[in-house]
Amino acid sequence: MEEIMKGFVKYTSDPYSAIEEWKEKNQKKVIGIFPMWLPEEIAHAAGMLPVVMWRSNEAITWGYAHVPPYNCPMNKSVVDDAVKGKLKFMDGMVFLRECLQSQEVPFIIENNMPPAFEEYLYMPPIYHASNADLEFTRGELERLRKSLGEFGGEEITDEKLNESIRIYNKNRSLLRRLYDIRRKKPGIMPARDILKVVWSSMLMLKEDHNKLLEALISRLENNGYEPVKGKKVFLSGCLCIHPQVELLDMIEDLGMIPVDDDIYVGYRYFANDAEITDDPIGALTERHFIKTPVDPARGEVEVNWGKELVDKVKRLNADGIVTLMTKYCPPHLCYYPDVKTVLADAGIPEVLVEIEHEIISYEGVKTRLQSFKEMLGGV
Amino acid sequence: MGVEYKVNRLRATGNIRPLVDKHWGDLRAAKERGEKVAWASGPSFMFPYSMGMKCHFMAGYASYAGGIGAADELLRLAETTGDLPETCSYHRLHMGLVEAIKKGVPIKEQAILPLPDLLIAGRYCTEQSHYSESFYRRMGLRIAPLELPFVFNKEDRPRIREFVYRQIVENVIPNLEDVCEKPFDYDRLSEILSVLKKTATLRNECWKFLATKPATWTLWDYAVSMAPVIYMMGDPAGIPFYEDLLKELKERHEKGIPALAPEGEKYRIYWDGWIPWAFLGKFMRKFTPHGAVCLCGRYPWEMFPHPELIDPEHPLDTVVDWVYGEETGLACHMAPKGSIEMIGELIEEYSIDGLVMFSSKSCRMWNQSHLDQIDALDKKYGIPGVVIEADMIDPEMVQDSQIDTRLQALFETIDGRRRR
Ligand code: SF4
Ligand code: SF4
Repeated sequence: MEEIMKGFVKYTSDPYSAIEEWKEKNQKKVIGIFPMWLPEEIAHAAGMLPVVMWRSNEAITWGYAHVPPYNCPMNKSVVDDAVKGKLKFMDGMVFLRECLQSQEVPFIIENNMPPAFEEYLYMPPIYHASNADLEFTRGELERLRKSLGEFGGEEITDEKLNESIRIYNKNRSLLRRLYDIRRKKPGIMPARDILKVVWSSMLMLKEDHNKLLEALISRLENNGYEPVKGKKVFLSGCLCIHPQVELLDMIEDLGMIPVDDDIYVGYRYFANDAEITDDPIGALTERHFIKTPVDPARGEVEVNWGKELVDKVKRLNADGIVTLMTKYCPPHLCYYPDVKTVLADAGIPEVLVEIEHEIISYEGVKTRLQSFKEMLGGV
Repeated sequence: MGVEYKVNRLRATGNIRPLVDKHWGDLRAAKERGEKVAWASGPSFMFPYSMGMKCHFMAGYASYAGGIGAADELLRLAETTGDLPETCSYHRLHMGLVEAIKKGVPIKEQAILPLPDLLIAGRYCTEQSHYSESFYRRMGLRIAPLELPFVFNKEDRPRIREFVYRQIVENVIPNLEDVCEKPFDYDRLSEILSVLKKTATLRNECWKFLATKPATWTLWDYAVSMAPVIYMMGDPAGIPFYEDLLKELKERHEKGIPALAPEGEKYRIYWDGWIPWAFLGKFMRKFTPHGAVCLCGRYPWEMFPHPELIDPEHPLDTVVDWVYGEETGLACHMAPKGSIEMIGELIEEYSIDGLVMFSSKSCRMWNQSHLDQIDALDKKYGIPGVVIEADMIDPEMVQDSQIDTRLQALFETIDGRRRR
């Protein structure tokens, strides 16, 4: 088990060196993909390594010469890493219009550390998925296919794209299986390890990740399981970034077991497959318009995040929800009061923890979580 | 002895308040008169106007609520339903409004609006759609979405223009036709644009008096006069308002009366970002004693800066080209790359000495790129700039000391460069 985990942790403990080392060894291009909606499959089909950009574990310093402190940690971190020269191993970067802040990052990157390849996709909100929306989105994805193909010097054919989608679908289905195991056997793995498994999937070649995952799942399915005592909680939110592992440890140390989540570096990342058809770009377009899990950034009205959470909590028989809100993330900020109201109406206990780039006061968070745990009652 | 600067107040701008009050008053009374009501965000309100609907405009309402002193109570009301202070203050303001309407909470009467028959979720800023989504969740209001992306690279403009045009024809107009139970009135849209063309042409004449040295009026005077070229578009009352304003500016100029007494300004300032609607007096008092006047900005220059391109014969194209046209390219200027070009033009046209980037702590529309913009513009034009942090309507986010220190630093930098 430890051996398998080492394979994942190599990437999450120092993604910069691990990716650079991979690049060196494989002599392939690395493409940074801004979270949360861009199909990495296209870069993979171009024979490159797509990596989802991440929040660094280092204090923001130079970044503050470019971005105000009251912007979200995702953007602050990417800018800080870029201006420090830490992202030089990325041959290309793909950005998108997803929220107000994400649409300004590429300007700062271009100004200070322009990558060899850069693309910007105008991904629309999903609402009613009108023909105009669908066709425009399709055009954006076709554009990425074309420009990445030109950058790589080889056309990205439908066959190549389908092959990448197949590999990515496999990864997603394995991750979903891992989550199923956790739902049935709460606490089977520490939450920090689950996070590392998912996060590493965003950083390493999917084929390699699939192999490690298969080995991990087989162990988990065959090893014995000692039920863990604790209150079952659902983790919600945390758009774009991964939460601090220390925070996850704290939740568990206080006697709560995360049994499921809809965080980005979690279920949200692998929830939806793209179909294998003779029109792979069409399939990726369709996937963009899938309405669940509800994504507050995506502009959706026909489904409701609060109700979705109530259903999930009931199905899991969970005791409460820990909302992890990426600090200064407007899509989540705007939605949160409505989620809170629905949960309160349904009698589901909930606590809010804000995730900054660096959590300044773990003591403050601990007090909050402690009272929440007391509210949930004994083990 | 230092010069004691004083603002020479304009008479004509005092006439705007009754016009604006009437506009919002008409909207308040619309339902009683059996008229349909829309609420719109982003540049989309002209579509409901064309159908004879009364229409709220998100930013316009926020500025109005700020101006009449209703913002604070609405913001506090929003807190009671769980809105966090980092959330866009315009969003919070509207959540407060919905709460007041829903629960009948007594607030300033002028700030109360009727609930709409249709929400047009113009997603110029992404939060603008989030606020419509919140209304939908809270009140089940019908939404017509309209994605209006900023144009990051100029070469992307034509295909985005086409996308926006299609959404209007395929989503927005059919929704309006359905709600109003009649075909879309293209003729009325043409009439609105004809009035707007006259109003904006007069307004452009007035702009020339911001370029005079010394300046004849200020950005704050223009800011309070913007309604006729934005959410009051099509209202003929805007024409005599601007005629009167132009007359006064000409007279002032002929008589040599500057915006700042006794002899005009010492520093000519570019202002980036929103207008601090609820704190105009406060900000004026921060600039005036230094002999500084704000003269132009990206946002106030959004309102049909090229009236010569308004073509009432082609109403839909005119509206779409306002934002996505090749010459106007508003959506290019809103994105940081295109803004450099636009701010550069304003620097030259209005002989700017320094840049003030107004960074709203709760609105992330422009603030992320401010420091890089200052850097790029300083390199190109040799003009220094500072960022000041505040908010348009939330008093909790306005801290005087930080603003004063940064403005002081800007003026000292300009002085230092002048001595070189
Ligand atoms: S964390 Fe939120 S604000 Fe930041 S980039 Fe992601 S969606 Fe946008
Ligand atoms: S975030 Fe800014 S631009 Fe967007 S709605 Fe709020 S105030 Fe307007």
